[in-house]
Amino acid sequence: MKQTDINHSEYHGRVNPNSMLGAALVILACIFIFYLVPQYIEVSGMVKNPMMSPRFLPLLAGWMVLLCSLILLVNGLLWPPKHTEAEAFHAGIPKLRWVLMLAAGAVYTMLFEQLGAITSGVIATFMLFLAHHLRHFSIYLLALLFPVVVSLLFIYLLNVPLPAGMLWE
Amino acid sequence: MNRLIVKLTSVMTLAAAVTFPIPSVAASEWPADTVKLIVPYSPGGTTDIVSRKVADLLKEELGNVVVENRPGAGSTVATGQLARGGRDADHTILMASPGHAIGAAIYPGLRYDPVEDFRFIRNVISIPNVMVVPASSAYNSLAEFVEAARNGEVTFSSPGVGSSVHMSGELFKTMTGANMIHVPFRGSGEALPALLAGDVDVAFENMPTVLPHIKSGKLKALAVTTTKRSPFLPDVPTVAEAGSDFGLAGYKTSAWFGLITHKSMPDDAVLKLRTSVADVMAGESFKSFLPQLGAEPGEEDGEVFRTFVAEEVVKWDGVAQQANVKK
Amino acid sequence: MENFSEVLSIFLSVDNFIAIAAGVLIGVVVGAIPGLTATMAVALALPFTFSMEPVTAILLLVGIYKGGMYGGSITAILIRTPGSPASACTLLDGYPLAQQGHAKKALKAALYSSCVADVISNVALIFFAAYLAKIALNFGPPEYFWLICFSLTIIISISGDSIVKGLIAAGLGIIVSNIGLDAVYGSQRLTFDNYNLMDRISFVPLLIGLFAIPEIIEFYTSKVVPHVRSAVSGASLTLAECKRSLKSVIRGSLIGVIIGAIPGTGATAAAFISYSEAKRNSPNKHNFGKGEVEGVAAAEAGNNGVAGATLIPLLSLGIPGDVITAIILGAFMIHGLTPGPVLFQENLSLVYALFCGILLSSVVLLVVGNAAIRYFSLIADIPKAILLPIVLMFCVYGAYAVNNSTFDIGLMMVFGLLGFVFNRTGIAAAPFLIGFILGPMFEDNLRRTLLISKGDPLVFFRGPIAWFFIALTVASLLFAVRRYWKSRKVPATA
Repeated sequence: MKQTDINHSEYHGRVNPNSMLGAALVILACIFIFYLVPQYIEVSGMVKNPMMSPRFLPLLAGWMVLLCSLILLVNGLLWPPKHTEAEAFHAGIPKLRWVLMLAAGAVYTMLFEQLGAITSGVIATFMLFLAHHLRHFSIYLLALLFPVVVSLLFIYLLNVPLPAGMLWE
Repeated sequence: MNRLIVKLTSVMTLAAAVTFPIPSVAASEWPADTVKLIVPYSPGGTTDIVSRKVADLLKEELGNVVVENRPGAGSTVATGQLARGGRDADHTILMASPGHAIGAAIYPGLRYDPVEDFRFIRNVISIPNVMVVPASSAYNSLAEFVEAARNGEVTFSSPGVGSSVHMSGELFKTMTGANMIHVPFRGSGEALPALLAGDVDVAFENMPTVLPHIKSGKLKALAVTTTKRSPFLPDVPTVAEAGSDFGLAGYKTSAWFGLITHKSMPDDAVLKLRTSVADVMAGESFKSFLPQLGAEPGEEDGEVFRTFVAEEVVKWDGVAQQANVKK
Repeated sequence: MENFSEVLSIFLSVDNFIAIAAGVLIGVVVGAIPGLTATMAVALALPFTFSMEPVTAILLLVGIYKGGMYGGSITAILIRTPGSPASACTLLDGYPLAQQGHAKKALKAALYSSCVADVISNVALIFFAAYLAKIALNFGPPEYFWLICFSLTIIISISGDSIVKGLIAAGLGIIVSNIGLDAVYGSQRLTFDNYNLMDRISFVPLLIGLFAIPEIIEFYTSKVVPHVRSAVSGASLTLAECKRSLKSVIRGSLIGVIIGAIPGTGATAAAFISYSEAKRNSPNKHNFGKGEVEGVAAAEAGNNGVAGATLIPLLSLGIPGDVITAIILGAFMIHGLTPGPVLFQENLSLVYALFCGILLSSVVLLVVGNAAIRYFSLIADIPKAILLPIVLMFCVYGAYAVNNSTFDIGLMMVFGLLGFVFNRTGIAAAPFLIGFILGPMFEDNLRRTLLISKGDPLVFFRGPIAWFFIALTVASLLFAVRRYWKSRKVPATA
């Protein structure tokens, strides 16, 4: 998406976020309309009125997305949008920062049941603190304290049964 | 848990209790730990309210009982989890309802058997469905209704595909050959206004939902779906009674709520559960709870309950196929 | 009134006051925790009410309901995490305000408009219940259908800079809402044989994912900016701002009352309709979405206006309009009371005692809410590097707690990524949410209307209520087209 150096003017070139987004959505909408809907939405023989069909609303929405993304694509090609300040903001982020964030997300998504709420909370929070290079040791104690307190609060006060972790039981 | 050890410890505690009069023997007796009552639906439904009341009453018998809602795919997500067993299986009970049997009939790819994978404690509460039409309706009896529905087209509402209300209607349709179109809503809260306003012609709603409206004259009750008349509507015939000329002789449905466990539940625990539930059901506070739901105590116990559920599974499987509700 | 003293004797008990205060407090706190909704709190509290007096029991539950409605807005404003679905609309302007250092202003605006809406809603409940209940009963599938059509037009006003992108988001939201078993035929739609997808996608993981997670991803994929210590206390709400918002608050409350009185539409839709109407009529319409006090006030008025009004169909007809009122109905029945006309005949004193309590709960909400603001606004002072990991933890626990399912955590993360892509590509997330909520309602009511019509399309145009909403829909579309032409003509930029 970073074509900024090629064209120094305040406008994007032909390959700009809007036309790329439009192109991507056109492809996705086509996959949806011509593959996913016929393949994964059955219509039983009982359906008499086309508006009653289980495919009616998904197709309606699908065509709407297709049409709008075509407009977006053409619009983007004809009138490239301006650069925004936010874009410079996203360039040159240390790799470790977002890798650790992804890792924390993965711990929650994939290991929540195995590690249990407390352990996965501690690990993920620790990783995220690390990602920001927090220096104070005492802050890392927070990473330990918070998941424990909050889990116990959920389990005993609010009666929400968070997993204790299959590995330790 | 080894049964021998259990026996041994119980003998020993008995001996100990005789020698040293310690007040509590509960430590060796099941449950000895918190019992979990799984509600396979979201908070707020009839199953949830019934379960919370039963759990509250069971506390006196079993110590701590907590209710846990695990909604998803009818009731089949929670039921599937129970069937798989796992570490808490010997302290987990589940409040099964018609969804247990209907779910098995309409949800594809279930990895459990609704009968074989469980032990059946007891049917606790049974709520009849009532066949109701709006006060403004032209039909005053089941016979009139069936005549009209065979010659024309009528609509019936339900709180959703696969609910006991829906399936009762489908069963009625299959047995009478009436032309009935199902209009699904999401929950009784949406279905009821449509019925009251006369937008749909008939419904086979749960007793507690429609009873106040029958009493206030906004709805007419044509029949109840159980085999016996309900004490709450003594003048209303059963469907089987009123419809014997229309092929409805064997018609029988109800919303039932019963407790089941994983098949590995040890015998002593099942026995304890059965006696505890029986004690609860004999109690005053349970008996006074029933009329508010238009309910009656469930009758089926143990193996009889198992047979009852097995019959339900077969019945709804047939109806679901007839009605072309997808599997 | 003859039995005035009887009403007072039922109402004036220490238990009732404790129940209201405890209920509102529990509601505010639980509502503020992402993933834990007021619904869950009400369900958890139900067993405790078995042993209480009926009025006390109901007041406790109603207190939680109202507290929860407001509580959701606290985290929506402070950390862009709607504590409950209905507060998703509040964050559109509330979060930008908090980012500009006006957290307190936003929280106060939310609280005051919540309380005003609550009072209006209660008054409607007490004086116009019978009349509004009659309207609710005349709301059949065709009328719902047109109401939903009108509601869908609000996509135009919440699309941000680009209507085309807004429509894309709405379309995607509708597609996602279609996942699950078909409501009429029971056939599978886009479930890919995964049993976790058999029901519709859960609302709470989607909501948290769409709004809270992108903020977290955004933070870790942007350059490190030193934390600016803003004085949380910030400026409070000024009188001028109150005056400016008053019209929108009252309009929002009335919208909330009407939506609330009709079963099955819900507080989320009310909040968005109120917001979009406020935006359309406000002199500061260009500031909406960038941190406009009036926007916060309108959204909160809409969703709190619903709270009292949902009790209208419940008390006068015995029909629960949403899950919470279904639980409250359960509480009535457990105490041997049957809501509906009979209740008014046989237990009138009890009903009036209940009304007294409900009126009092608005005042309690004001007091508890003010206290809550004092403590919760400290959150705005915590540096993001420390706050966000903890927010993420809450989100994960909350998403899990809804269905006790790890699948929902994954779902939340997927919608988090989607929300992040939306952010980066300038697509507004709110239309996605509207599509997700209204899509199924649109389809359900279209199909129901066709089913009950027995082949006669005229049923779509059968009465004054249907025509009223048709007119609103058309007017709303025309208005949007006119505004579009105006905006095209004025700046000469293509």
